[in-house]
Amino acid sequence: MNQTEDLIKQLPTELGGLEAGPIQRVEHEYAPWEKRCHALANILDIHKIVNTEEKRRGIASLGGELVGKLTYYERWIVAFANILFQKQILTPDELARKMQEVEARYPGTASLGS
Amino acid sequence: MGSHAHTPAPEVPEQKPGYYEIMETAVRELLVEKKVISAGEIRQMLEVMDTRTPALGSKIVARAWVDPDFRQRLVANGRKTLEELGIDFFENTQLIVLENTDKVHNLIVCTLCSCYPREILGLPPDWYKLKPYRARAVKEPRAVLAEFGTVIPDNVEVRVSDSTAMIRYLVLPQRPPGIEDFTEEQLAPLVTRDAMIGVVKPKVPSAKEKSQ
Repeated sequence: MNQTEDLIKQLPTELGGLEAGPIQRVEHEYAPWEKRCHALANILDIHKIVNTEEKRRGIASLGGELVGKLTYYERWIVAFANILFQKQILTPDELARKMQEVEARYPGTASLGS
Repeated sequence: MGSHAHTPAPEVPEQKPGYYEIMETAVRELLVEKKVISAGEIRQMLEVMDTRTPALGSKIVARAWVDPDFRQRLVANGRKTLEELGIDFFENTQLIVLENTDKVHNLIVCTLCSCYPREILGLPPDWYKLKPYRARAVKEPRAVLAEFGTVIPDNVEVRVSDSTAMIRYLVLPQRPPGIEDFTEEQLAPLVTRDAMIGVVKPKVPSAKEKSQ
């Protein structure tokens, strides 16, 4: 089976039963933004905007490459943005503009747009 | 008092946040501006999340060890029994409490993502969310347990429960022998987070702890 067939037959989030290496007993203190991201997820769920299943699907639909390269909460926030675009709650333009605005609060640093 | 005694912390860190952190801030602020959510809700949720730690799960297990009636109710209906103690659950999620016995050792996993009994254990450790644990726990649980230093005898069944968005599990470990006189408060610290996931057994108290 070639590599693209693997990508079609199994979602990147379906890991049960796959071959994998030793357990990595790693842990880290959650960063404040990661906690905020989690709180945002809970609030979006409570408001019935994004439920757990939609979130899981949103992450699966990022595709194997992104799922493999992003950290846990990086996947979440990108998935949320996509879901909020699909639900027409946010637009990509709005998000791009707001990200530039947020970044501009940190003077003397390179622009996101570069 | 010197003039520097109460210098307030700057509101923003000096170092520029990363791309995804900026995205998080931007998404959250846009949703607040559009009144989809409020900033207060996020703040309150962060406070609630800070109250959810494995210490809560440890207290629940210790209580189940000393109170047979509570244990029975906990196993019969985890969510309802814990709601009576004032623990809030997310809508539609069920909590199933899995009892370890002389014949069965339970292990929990979420192969699809990271479902976990957050209401009573807080946020899961990274290894619980990473591929090796999620991939292998359902296929070769004994080998996975051995990597945590836990060897389950062959005559004990290892039962793996795969969590979902709707169904979360908590392992109720066996009370270590030889500490029949321990109180609930003495027992709780023996119940580690990992014991409630099922990858290790509860801590065995030291001779000093036993004599206290």
